Amino acid sequence: MDLSVRQTPLSMADAFHLLRRLTFAPTWQQAAQLKGLMPEAALDLVMNLDPPLEQPPWAQQPISADRNEVVRLWGELQSWWISHCLRHPSFREKLVAMWHNHFTSDYVTVYYAQLMVTQSNHLRLNRYDFRALSEGIVGDPAMLLYLNGDQSVKGNPNENFGREWFELFSLGVGNYTEHDIIDAARAFTGWRVNGLESLYNRQLADLGEKTILGQTGNWEYKDVIRITLEQDACASFIATKILRAFVEHNPDEATVEGVAQLIRSNNYNLQPVLRTLFISNGFYDVSIRGALIKDPMSFAIGLANITGISRVSNTVISGAMSALMQTPFYPPTVQGWVGHHKWITSNTFPLRQRFAESLLDGRLAGTSSVLKDENGQPVKPDLVSLVKLFPDANDAAQVVKNLALLLLPVQTTPEQEAVLLDIMMAGAPAYSWDIESGTAENRIKLLMQTIVRMPEFQLN
Amino acid sequence: MNRRNFIKNVGTTSVAVATLPSVIDGFTVKALAGGDAMGRLLEDSDRVFVIIQLTGGNDGLNTVIPADNDIYYNNRPKLAIAKNKALPLTDTLRLHPSLSGFKKLYDEGQLAIVQGVTYPNPDRSHFRGTDIWLTATDASVFGSTGWVGRYLDILAPSFPTELPEHPLAVQVGGTQSLGFAGSKGSMGITFRDPDEFARLVSTGGGIEEVPAADLGDTKAAAEVEFVRNVARSADVYAKVVKTAADAAPTSTVTYPNSDIAAKLRVVAQLIAGGLQSKVFLVSWENSSFDTHANQVVGSDPLTGAHANLLSDLGGAVEAFMADMKNSGNAGRVAGMTFSEFGRRVAENGSLGTDHGTAAPLFVFGENVLGSVIGADPDLETLDNRGDLLMNYDFRDIYASVLLQWFAQPSTVVNNILYHDFSKTAVPLFKGASTVLEGAAAGSTIQFRSVSPNPASDVVTVRVHMNLIADATVVVHSMHGKKMLSAEVNPVSGVAQFNVSGLSTGNYILGLYSGGAVTHSLLSVQR
Repeated sequence: MDLSVRQTPLSMADAFHLLRRLTFAPTWQQAAQLKGLMPEAALDLVMNLDPPLEQPPWAQQPISADRNEVVRLWGELQSWWISHCLRHPSFREKLVAMWHNHFTSDYVTVYYAQLMVTQSNHLRLNRYDFRALSEGIVGDPAMLLYLNGDQSVKGNPNENFGREWFELFSLGVGNYTEHDIIDAARAFTGWRVNGLESLYNRQLADLGEKTILGQTGNWEYKDVIRITLEQDACASFIATKILRAFVEHNPDEATVEGVAQLIRSNNYNLQPVLRTLFISNGFYDVSIRGALIKDPMSFAIGLANITGISRVSNTVISGAMSALMQTPFYPPTVQGWVGHHKWITSNTFPLRQRFAESLLDGRLAGTSSVLKDENGQPVKPDLVSLVKLFPDANDAAQVVKNLALLLLPVQTTPEQEAVLLDIMMAGAPAYSWDIESGTAENRIKLLMQTIVRMPEFQLN
Repeated sequence: MNRRNFIKNVGTTSVAVATLPSVIDGFTVKALAGGDAMGRLLEDSDRVFVIIQLTGGNDGLNTVIPADNDIYYNNRPKLAIAKNKALPLTDTLRLHPSLSGFKKLYDEGQLAIVQGVTYPNPDRSHFRGTDIWLTATDASVFGSTGWVGRYLDILAPSFPTELPEHPLAVQVGGTQSLGFAGSKGSMGITFRDPDEFARLVSTGGGIEEVPAADLGDTKAAAEVEFVRNVARSADVYAKVVKTAADAAPTSTVTYPNSDIAAKLRVVAQLIAGGLQSKVFLVSWENSSFDTHANQVVGSDPLTGAHANLLSDLGGAVEAFMADMKNSGNAGRVAGMTFSEFGRRVAENGSLGTDHGTAAPLFVFGENVLGSVIGADPDLETLDNRGDLLMNYDFRDIYASVLLQWFAQPSTVVNNILYHDFSKTAVPLFKGASTVLEGAAAGSTIQFRSVSPNPASDVVTVRVHMNLIADATVVVHSMHGKKMLSAEVNPVSGVAQFNVSGLSTGNYILGLYSGGAVTHSLLSVQR
């Protein structure tokens, strides 16, 4: 991957690429704003978006013994984050989503939604600093409950967190030994969760001599983090994670190594690393356009934003994400969501088609129920207004091209555009297209429904 | 008469359903060993195999309990299941009390328990471990195709250009398993509910609305191709699945209220309704068996997370097999459980167990050689992490399934499993006629009778051989040790031997002739 700085301004297609990869809202308006900017300026606009995130009032509420109340908060937890991402889609939250899939926990195991908010805030606050993320996650109350750190005792430690620290959080398989796990598990003792807080009690921690990744000393948990981050493999592992989230699923070794070098030279401060990556020639290269598969969150929030109905109830989005196997805050395993090809099954693909085509019609996936906002008012995309954002809304062929540009990360062929034009015109000649006509809304809808059914629409 | 009716009809006589198509038809080993006849036969075989994945690493020692072993109790002061609470299996082993469903199957001779299953250099990572089991590779190899997928590749050589009429593999719930990945994409489909699946697919336009674009040599091109193939499978199979679901007679079996039972109920419905898939997979979609903490409730090791999981498992399989029996399919359905690893012998300090290695694996079905196979766990000889050593490689079990259940020749099995595992296959299925490499032309062998059975001294074995050939009956212990053998009289087809020197218990009879082998079970009682 070519990490040299791209020196040409963004086209509309480039702008959509940047927005699809870095946000949940690749809208026409956003892309039009970025078009013509140099990559650095465009990235500034995307990265500096830091919309305030309201903290839910219940997050400070003491934990309840009432199971109904606990479960109610699980729903509140999803609403809190998903409605924010829906209304204020930002790169910040896309990065938080990546970390939620890395240092992952689930609300069923953690049980108390308040602690999941604490974890999410930790991931958000430290999203650019892998060292701070790592040090903080050891004593994060949700993580202590999720991987049993709060029950790990000196003398007979529980190795759940110790193993996953190396395998899933920092180094990856093959870069540590069973002995490292034994001694790391010892070093991670001493933590207890009390209510909404966690506490490190050195009296309860195993302070004896340990050998971690070849270094011997009376290590405590911060030493394990320090020693782990000194390993070359750690930067490579994190580089792979970043590339998989933002660039391509199977990056080659040289690409991983290039990004890993940046991570090492920036001492795990990821902001400059991400900046370099996102203004590079390689990031904008045509060979990686559409190389990813949309995760359900990007898929559902993205389409709601593209079609201008971000006011739709967040439960519509959470419901779709759950049906598409990405229940917010409930990853299947400590590995998080594997993603990519795992997103697309014989069941989820048609479900994605039904969700998308129904949403364009203002309906819930595959039903006749109308979409509603949080106040119970019906929500329906205004597709004529959407098309009127285009420069040539009265040119049928251009409308087709622009809708394809808006919805698909790969270039359509003239043959495909001809078929799509036929679908939109339904037998009428293209010159008769009139955006002001009473049938335009329906014709645009049929065309967009066709496009969102295409396999290409699943790419990102 | 179609093949399924044929098998059902002869199934009223005792052995036929239990045997392979080869034997039913009197096809010779030669015909089986190669050529088109074999291909056609195997494609028509309607045997079904159901795989149940216990995600998270099942604690084998608290599942099949070495109830006479003090080391077990010493290592698990808080977790151990008291002997008098556990369900008796053998003189030395007991089942977790929550596994009454499995106990019933075992008592009916429909459950095999293979002890100590893992692989060399076992990986204690959930995700590597799972991939190793699904891809059936050595621990050091990162495979991209699954063992089931590689078997199904053989049955559908033109996949995905031409799709078989019925999906070859079906997963109920979850994301598509690596186990089904063939060399040309996934050989399976996945859905949760047949009606929902059909509705999702039938209400929309197909993927052929807009022609595919040539995206050249880009990464997107490969992704579009991937999505397109999944979509095509969905388009083609949703209707087939729905038709089968609708054709199934209403089940009268009450399934327990659990996710795994709900999934197995769908499997039963599809089999009963005539879906001709070869392999079904159901799993726990979360790492439910990853019992690092609170595996038991503090005061009572009989309750808690693990007890609930085992109860769900046993109850679901028991109901599923009862359902299969009601619909007349029990003879052609077998299944197995697997988990990425067992757990450590010693409990940790949080009422749980950490990741371990070898564990027992269950194989169930009417035509399974109901038995406990392999030595009891050796708790004195552990590896350097305090984990159990290997008794059987999991690929020995896969080889058994492919050889004995799916009647694949050993050369094919060895290709699928990358090594010569057909030599170490474990006898798991009744009357299965395994065709070994270099089988003599024209020989067919089969047990006709073993009497008396149970026996105390002299046993007479009558065998069927279509040619006059040398044949030997070998008595193996359940651990695979050769105990004694007897030549079969080539003219009369009779072999006799005396088991008065053997201790009571179950033994496996192997009948060997001309490179072919078939198995039966002998019980010694006094």
